[in-house]
Amino acid sequence: MKKKVIVACGGAVATSTIAANKVVELCKENGIDVEICQVRLSEIGSNLPADLIVTTSKCKRDYGVPLLTGMPFISGVGVDKTKANILKVLSR
Amino acid sequence: MIWEELDSARIITDLEAESTKDVFEALGSRMIQEGYAKESYIQALIDREKDYPTGLDMGGFGIAIPHTDVSHVNESGVAIGVLKKPVEFIQMGMDDDPVDVSLVFMLTVKDPSAHIDKLQRITEIIQDQKVLDRLTGTKEAEAIINVIREKEEDLDQELTA
Repeated sequence: MKKKVIVACGGAVATSTIAANKVVELCKENGIDVEICQVRLSEIGSNLPADLIVTTSKCKRDYGVPLLTGMPFISGVGVDKTKANILKVLSR
Repeated sequence: MIWEELDSARIITDLEAESTKDVFEALGSRMIQEGYAKESYIQALIDREKDYPTGLDMGGFGIAIPHTDVSHVNESGVAIGVLKKPVEFIQMGMDDDPVDVSLVFMLTVKDPSAHIDKLQRITEIIQDQKVLDRLTGTKEAEAIINVIREKEEDLDQELTA
């Protein structure tokens, strides 16, 4: 089944673009069929439902969907753990 | 390649700044002068930074990658600032955690999906602590371009290896 991932940052300009690309690569490597929806933080609500939300800005709202930080894709710190968490959510 | 697009007109070493606003004005005005950004760019950076900060703690090394909406941008580009003394930025994706920033990569992004390789390349460059040390250790714009060129050549070799 196709999974939908929302990737969000402040302006959908730079960091969410990088994170979105990394999620696509990761899913391809692991044979997960994924649809990415790259939006601004304020647009998350109107793009639900989704299987996972990845943000590179702080996000306190609970959308009832697993939410992970995509910051490791930018800083390089903790990338493996983030990848594992994404796969865990999407393989359910 | 990032280094091919760098120009000493958009690199400031020994940048004296007391605040993020000073940084945005100094580097942002270069972007505007050089035609990469519109007049509204600096204010847009200041406004956006409040809501969506761009400081990054790269393992104890503070850098910032300020950028803003495409509507304030003419052309895709990079400006680099090496700060004379660190300025406090709030970290991206964090709860108001500050980080002392000494190196700033300011971006004008015109079309995010078209520039994904470039954006990714920038993150690869800034994830290398040795590169960050070398970039902040120089006062010459040309030296900065050289450090980035060398790093990119290494990255390209890794890709073909």
